[in-house]
Amino acid sequence: MPRGRRSIDPARIVVSTTSGAVPPHSIAAARPRRRAIDPAIAIALVVAVAFVLIAIVWPVLMVVGTALSADAIPIFQRYLRPPQNQILINTVVLGVVVATVGTAIAFLFAFVQVRVPAPRPIKTTLHVLALLPIVSPPFALAIAAISLFGRSGIITRDLLGLRVDIYGLPGLTLVMSLSFFPVAYVSLAGLMRSLDPALDEAAANLGSSRWRVFRTVTLPLLLPGMASGFLLLFVEALADLGNPLVLGGNFTVLSSRLYIAIIGEYNMLSGSVLAVLLLVPSLIVYFVHRYYAERASVVSVTGKPTGRLTEVTGRPARYALLGAAMAVAGLITLLYLTILLGSFTKLLGVDNSFTLKNYEAVLFGYGIQAVQDTTLLASIATPLAGLLGIIIAFLVVRGRFIGRGGLDFGTMLGVAVPGTIFGIGYLMAFNVPTQIAGFTVFPKLTGGAAVLGGALAILMVFVVRSAPGGLRAGTASLQQIDPSIEEASVSLGANQTQTFRKIVLPLIKPAFLSGLIYSFARSMTAISAIIFLTTPQTRIMTQQILNETDAARYGNAYAYCVILILIVLAAMGLLTVLVGSTVRSDRNPSVELAANR
Amino acid sequence: MARGRSSLAATLLAATLATTLAGTALGQSPSAVPAGTPMAMPSGPAPTSLTVLCTPQEDWCQAMVAAFQSQTGIPTTYVRLSSGEALARIRASASAPEFSVWWGGPADGFVAADAEGLLEHYISPDSVVIADTQKDPDGAWTGVYVGALGFCSNTKVLQELGVDVPDSWDDLLDPRLQGQVGMAHPASSGTAYTALYTQVIRLSGEDAAIDYMKQLHNNILQYTKSGSAPAEMAGRGEIAVAVVFSHDCVKNIDAGFSDLAVSFPAEGTGYEIGGVALIKDAPEPIAARMWIDWSLEAATQEIGATVGSYQLPTNPDAKVSERSVDLSQVNLVPYDFSAAGEARTGLTQRFEDEVAAQPIE
Repeated sequence: MPRGRRSIDPARIVVSTTSGAVPPHSIAAARPRRRAIDPAIAIALVVAVAFVLIAIVWPVLMVVGTALSADAIPIFQRYLRPPQNQILINTVVLGVVVATVGTAIAFLFAFVQVRVPAPRPIKTTLHVLALLPIVSPPFALAIAAISLFGRSGIITRDLLGLRVDIYGLPGLTLVMSLSFFPVAYVSLAGLMRSLDPALDEAAANLGSSRWRVFRTVTLPLLLPGMASGFLLLFVEALADLGNPLVLGGNFTVLSSRLYIAIIGEYNMLSGSVLAVLLLVPSLIVYFVHRYYAERASVVSVTGKPTGRLTEVTGRPARYALLGAAMAVAGLITLLYLTILLGSFTKLLGVDNSFTLKNYEAVLFGYGIQAVQDTTLLASIATPLAGLLGIIIAFLVVRGRFIGRGGLDFGTMLGVAVPGTIFGIGYLMAFNVPTQIAGFTVFPKLTGGAAVLGGALAILMVFVVRSAPGGLRAGTASLQQIDPSIEEASVSLGANQTQTFRKIVLPLIKPAFLSGLIYSFARSMTAISAIIFLTTPQTRIMTQQILNETDAARYGNAYAYCVILILIVLAAMGLLTVLVGSTVRSDRNPSVELAANR
Repeated sequence: MARGRSSLAATLLAATLATTLAGTALGQSPSAVPAGTPMAMPSGPAPTSLTVLCTPQEDWCQAMVAAFQSQTGIPTTYVRLSSGEALARIRASASAPEFSVWWGGPADGFVAADAEGLLEHYISPDSVVIADTQKDPDGAWTGVYVGALGFCSNTKVLQELGVDVPDSWDDLLDPRLQGQVGMAHPASSGTAYTALYTQVIRLSGEDAAIDYMKQLHNNILQYTKSGSAPAEMAGRGEIAVAVVFSHDCVKNIDAGFSDLAVSFPAEGTGYEIGGVALIKDAPEPIAARMWIDWSLEAATQEIGATVGSYQLPTNPDAKVSERSVDLSQVNLVPYDFSAAGEARTGLTQRFEDEVAAQPIE
């Protein structure tokens, strides 16, 4: 796997997306003498706490509060009893199936990447293809899957003459596993690399066969990582809205039912009840995952690997593994090629003539507003979320105040809570101006008549959803930096703000960069959280893609997808250049600090 | 900004500029009123914007907005929402409406909105030419087009399944059509609600209608959000039959889906009168009234056919495309828009509880 100095280190992305895998060796043990709190730190703390309370906790509490009213009891009963409990069952079944298949694919890709000898270009290609779903809208694959494998799919129908049914569980499993496995893949690959090969060698020296070593040594060591990936995928699958809407058929899940309750009926009570039914398993699984992953990493990660990893050398096993991974990669390629070709085609599969009309509609027609709005909002949200995440990480790791854990927990709710719940929470919390004792504390934030045409609410949601990535990345990297470096800076007379800016920030820049890239990709591809918040003045690309898909104008939907992917890739490149180049100039912060003094 | 339309960038910019500055910028809109356009300008300050809630298909919405903007010089934006969605959205923002005028979608939706006090009554001077059966006497809504519900079949798929083109509601219950019928969700779509309420009239009663829907449920592939979507799915061959307004089927035949065919149930089908209405406490009431007046003109009602939307005009002077449905050839049920509108909330809730969540047998 190529690891250019300036390229984005996937292992970093893992840290930010999985939230777990925090190295256990927190060095922040020794504490210097007490100092007065720096005013800048105090302000940062107040801002961070206010943000978490207003933008994250309050909307979620509004939803929970509504669902706990007496009126909600019959609605709970309705959804917990037959036949409506089928929705809950479907949701859990989908979560388990997608998590299982997704983890299996992730394991396969990680294993092939780390343990199977193969030519470099093949490994690079596999790696890039595995990461592609991260930068594309979450349901792009679902649209392509209908074109390829639908009842009149190009492959199933035109090539194989079959009339298969991909709507419902089978199709959802296919596209959701492929869309979500990258997160688990990157973390598993990181875990596999960090395994101590000495253990495998010891087992082999004691006479175990390769298969036995794999079964009794390697696999048990990887199990916590796989479990963590499984739980994460489970939460993602539960929260997903785009795919069930596009490909769900009559397989109704909580998120799609919630969507109808809000957009079709504007029934906030039903919406809240469904949201709580969705929230409870998501939160339980998410925090089990965090707790589990943090403990598990103590067991499995034993420091830097010392020897060479044993690779799979048996031919049949090697070819089988490589073949399987390449088959999956081929499928991903095929789906993305469909998106690309479809964007230049009149009616893919029906009338395959070349056209630029789709791009004309998106770039020069009614679509351009969504492209501009989404890019603008994501560009504003990205630095805000990155900065906020890193500041909270600094406060949580280095700060000494009561409730640090609460700040961390509150921020992490931004990803632990399914997006649809933020959507309805914002509608409930911010659809009317907030008044305390007759004074307007906040103006109306959602809807077209709101401040900035509703853009502020969407911006807040983008930051809420992205800040946890920066927080995780920042926490992980801060915990590996010895606080004595910062103490040295303070001893030399710098205040905490200077220390943060000149010492901490340069040291955690790589983490900051990955946090930023993650934020931008996450904002650009967000759908479930913003779907209730778009207004006539503020349009969002993912929502437009969903509209185009629902109206079966696939050409436009594909063109949107291609443009969205290009924007995210361009931003990744730009961020790497911008942030990456400053890393070089600031490489030796202590020297610079000395020069300043 | 120079485009003179209210995009987010404009909004953000406007927020930072003084209002007067923003006003000037909007005034520089390139599309001034062309000379000779007969557009009565009501008294009061000249409108500077209009936000339309548009329910028909996207391209018709675009064509309408572009035409209105170029004829009046008023920068106009729209959001396309299906009928049920639109109703929910108006309800949600009733305290501070984001839209001024709601154009298109079956009248039932307008009746339901009016029952909740969400509409401002307005009897347009242009509405005198519209037949009494196609408008609300109190001016809650006025009809702008008419369409009949039909079946949109993919003849190739039907042939493979060995099923004839359906010409009865009961034909849709054929077990060979399992997972082959498409319809939108009545909560979000006016088309689907028309289909649902047609059963109430045809079978005389809500219980019988729900029973029919339960049987049909076994054959439904997916309840889409927007009413016209199943026609495209049928065109693509994903399903065999779509329950849609016939004009949405014709639109897709024109778009290149040549396997599609329109048919109507012999025992009677429902129809829609697409309405236009002023939203209560509309932020742009003058421009909204101008839109309503304009939408009733013959020339305006001929715009649809230019983008393949062949709904029948309600203005008798408007040219009728030969691609439009000939209502004299279709057996229509005595559809009651008031009753349908009043039953809407309860009936969609029943549909959701008793039909949509059922597992397929």
